[in-house]
Amino acid sequence: MLGVERRSAPVAPPFPPSRPAAREGACDGAPARRRAAPTIVLLVITGGLLAVLALWWSDTPSVHGLGDYLTGAGRILGLMAGYGVVVLVALMARLPPLERGLGTDRLTRWHAMGGRYVVTIIVAHALLITWGYAVTAHEGLINEAGTLLISYPDVLMATVAGLLLVGIGAVSARAARRHMAYETWYYLHFYTYLAIALAFSHQFADGASFASDLKARIAWAALYLLVAALVVWYRLINPLRNAVRHQFRVVGVRRESADVVSIYIGGRYLDELQAEPGQFFRWRFLSRNLWWSSHPYSLSALPRPDVMRITVKDHGDHSGALGDLPIGTRVVAEGPYGTFIPEQTGRRVLLLAGGVGIPPLRAMFAMLPAPVTLIYRASGPGDVVFGDELEAIARDRGATVHYLLGSRDRLGRDPLTAGQLNHMVPGLHRHDVYVCGPAGMTDSAIAALKAAGVPRKRIHHESFEF
Amino acid sequence: MRRAVLALGGTVAGLILLLSFRSHTAVPAAAGVAPSTATTPTTPATSAAPSTPVPKATKTTGAGTGTGAGGSKVVTGSVISSAYGPSQVAVTLTAGKITKVTILQHTDDGEMSQEIDGPALPKLVSETLTAQSAQIDAVSGASYTSAGYIKSLQSALDKARA
Repeated sequence: MLGVERRSAPVAPPFPPSRPAAREGACDGAPARRRAAPTIVLLVITGGLLAVLALWWSDTPSVHGLGDYLTGAGRILGLMAGYGVVVLVALMARLPPLERGLGTDRLTRWHAMGGRYVVTIIVAHALLITWGYAVTAHEGLINEAGTLLISYPDVLMATVAGLLLVGIGAVSARAARRHMAYETWYYLHFYTYLAIALAFSHQFADGASFASDLKARIAWAALYLLVAALVVWYRLINPLRNAVRHQFRVVGVRRESADVVSIYIGGRYLDELQAEPGQFFRWRFLSRNLWWSSHPYSLSALPRPDVMRITVKDHGDHSGALGDLPIGTRVVAEGPYGTFIPEQTGRRVLLLAGGVGIPPLRAMFAMLPAPVTLIYRASGPGDVVFGDELEAIARDRGATVHYLLGSRDRLGRDPLTAGQLNHMVPGLHRHDVYVCGPAGMTDSAIAALKAAGVPRKRIHHESFEF
Repeated sequence: MRRAVLALGGTVAGLILLLSFRSHTAVPAAAGVAPSTATTPTTPATSAAPSTPVPKATKTTGAGTGTGAGGSKVVTGSVISSAYGPSQVAVTLTAGKITKVTILQHTDDGEMSQEIDGPALPKLVSETLTAQSAQIDAVSGASYTSAGYIKSLQSALDKARA
């Protein structure tokens, strides 16, 4: 225990990492953890899609005439959508090989893109089936739609499910998300599970590929059950198991600046988590105000076997209440997540932090071998956090810190230019660069780095925009 | 935006490909002949070949023959099962010619089937009488009904000529 009281927690000192930062085949004998390569994941997903299309192919004797074509297209899209939702849920199931191999940010982007596609084909499926049936039965579209909704009971549920998904899709659009609180959007999004449950029965009751094919039904149901089990295990049960094992609790709270606060989370056996600098956890603080929300925050110092630290800016409903967290509050922490981890390449490293992006880079700064440079971009001196720590680390490890202060508006220009970067960091184009900050800053920083001659594959950053 | 256009364009292209490859009657007709005249020009010789392998039918049950009045013979075909119900026909042969086809069972699995079978079956019967064989085209929009009918008809003809 640190034996700290509120507002006087000691600074977590820099210390040598408990394991090498190399990702594969650690020399200390620990087995390399499985990570899924993006190409393999795409191949598996495509393989599943081909199997689904083969199911349609084998169950369709022939296609003859407009009605058949329309219905056939509708059926194919329906099968693809039924498979697609399973893939989408699996991407977000927090499966460790996917998280390690693809990274949370890429998984989120794939899920978002796939989600837009699946909602589109669901709408097309409904329209094509209705139209195809109408043509075959020589009925008008409205009549046929009515017949489908009324005489096939599961179709009504499936239609509700489809409308629900369209609604969730609309609400998840970037334009809509800008206008609502993160928590609101997050909880609305869980209705996708309800939609999937509602739509499931009509696949078996009305799907030509399933109606008389027991093997297909078994395989399909097995797929759904498997992904459901994975979700329950990795998103529900595992975090609780970890909370019980590690006994996470708030052990210290320290205000770093006017609007930034650090939280110290203590526990036991934290080294089992194998958290690396640059990674984040999803934190759920079980206090009265905050138990219902979970937020991702990066570690802002190297984790110790008994304490971890996060540093959060006060903005939004969630972050503001963190400064008042009672000591001893239990925490459910899921992780570690994220692939924003420094690799041991032997090249020099430049860390480029903007405002709120300093925590993961501060963690990296404490363990990267010299010569490492940190450029800290902030609006003003009052916005700089960890000033003392950074100086101490620089002194002890022979690293360099540059501060670039002043907001772009007041300076009238962006100080992060290729020329400025080359001037501050000799041999920049031979560096590995890790960038973290608000979206606008990282975009212009990456552009400047590319202009300065740093190859794209050596610019590392995580983007949670989707 | 570009990715969205690519994804949707690819989907449409894929759908068209898949459907057009299935756009002929893949019904395994008599003598293992290639599909109907609608697509490729099948060689006429094969359609008349009497040496017929047993057509691929799922869950067929036994069927029998019987004699009708006045020298004609009634042969019942096998029951062909499909997702939409069973199909079974009986063929009346008079002096070796098909004079009548009776529908014993047809796919009848809810409202949709009734809408489809209504117009389709008489059409199949009249085509059979014209073609004097099971080498007939499926009826547009009634793939399952046509497939079941044709298979059961073929099995009846095989039994008659066996």
